[in-house]
Amino acid sequence: MSLIARSLKPAVASLAVRSTAAVAATGVQATRRAYASEAAAAPSGGSGKLIVNFALPHQTVLKKHEVNQVDMSAVSGDLGVLADHVPTIEQLKPGVLDIISDAGSTKYFVSGGFAIMNPNSVLNINAVEAFKLEDIDSQAVSAGLAESQRLHSAAKDEKVREAAAVEIELYEALQAALAGKSK
Amino acid sequence: MLVRSAIAARPATLVFSVAGQTRNMATLKEIQTRLKSVTNISKITASMKMIASTKTTRAQRAMNVARAYGQVSNDLIKQAEVEKAAGAKELLITVSSDKGLCGGIHSSLSRYSRKHLAENNEVPVVILGDKAKVQLQRAYPENIRYSFNQLGSTIPTYDESSIIASTILNDKSIEFDNAKLVYNRFVSAISFETDAIECYPVSQIVEAPNFKAYEYQEDVLENLNEFLFANSLHWALVEGHAAEMAAKRTAMENATKNAGDMINRLTLQYNRGRQAVITNELIDIITGASAL
Repeated sequence: MSLIARSLKPAVASLAVRSTAAVAATGVQATRRAYASEAAAAPSGGSGKLIVNFALPHQTVLKKHEVNQVDMSAVSGDLGVLADHVPTIEQLKPGVLDIISDAGSTKYFVSGGFAIMNPNSVLNINAVEAFKLEDIDSQAVSAGLAESQRLHSAAKDEKVREAAAVEIELYEALQAALAGKSK
Repeated sequence: MLVRSAIAARPATLVFSVAGQTRNMATLKEIQTRLKSVTNISKITASMKMIASTKTTRAQRAMNVARAYGQVSNDLIKQAEVEKAAGAKELLITVSSDKGLCGGIHSSLSRYSRKHLAENNEVPVVILGDKAKVQLQRAYPENIRYSFNQLGSTIPTYDESSIIASTILNDKSIEFDNAKLVYNRFVSAISFETDAIECYPVSQIVEAPNFKAYEYQEDVLENLNEFLFANSLHWALVEGHAAEMAAKRTAMENATKNAGDMINRLTLQYNRGRQAVITNELIDIITGASAL
């Protein structure tokens, strides 16, 4: 099972390039938010259902799946999306993505990506890695976190330290997710 | 009885035949050598076809997933109806690979790229894969900015696509607004078509007619666009790989079939030659015997 946590590392490494830019950019608290100046032309055809496309580079998790609500953890804050939500573009940070449908709720841990809500009540989620919470081994997470913290304090190179910081953020989010699940 | 035993002894004495028959012996030897080599080749192409077959099934599965991923990623571009600005600076990325023996895959990509470069001479080019590099280097060597290799032996991973995308985006010396990803689209197991995925700059996305409906944090757009670029590149790489595996399978199948035809033709030629030699020997013996 430590394979699962370890396999997130490549995703972290590839995110490191983009996320350092993101981390640097969101350092400023007062970032401008652009609001929709025109209301969406046509809401979902009255069905009141949220259609979700959840895709990973190596797996299509959900395709045109009808759900009630999706809760996600975005860089701008946590949000819940219902059908006919205002179209929005959100960058996801490592955290829990909760897909709530009539059948129940499925929680995934995503390493990062983007969630875009479209005017036709279609929510597109592109993530680099996603795993169901029950597939994640908490001991491997603790071991990984300790290792990343050690790397961070021992790092002499700026890039290595930033990469370790991204890993720490990831492992702490994983721990929080697992803790939240067991409550 | 005498005649048959004479023929049985024939193979050992074939080498010492008279001048008139030496040409037939040499031709028979040649045909035999050719037959052996063509049989070997047909065995190799048959096994390559088998390997390409299994690779095609796996590559096709990965392609369906990568295509879904890329299409979901580009849905925003489609829904917002983003357009290309007039006079936009372009970057051409040719998605090919290092491996050959796959039919017209690489030459089709080079042809598309060369046609585009003929109309736009100044466009910088990034080449993924050695095969297309060789072909484009001859025609447009100054346009090539980067070339990547070690591609094509396995299904491309998202790691590779991110590294390529990061390298291109981090190099400030390459200025571009739009990126055109030239790749081979998988149409069916026996056909492909060279097509292009268009990547737009943030300025065009913001100007798009339907984009006003979206809410977003302003600093997120640059990250989104880089993400979109890596996703489209991944889609092009994986689909190109699937098209290449299918084309390799078809090429090897044709090669095996052609080799089989050649084997049949050569075998007939060999047998005819052999029979002609035997008939001539017989005639010699009979005329010799009747002269007594």
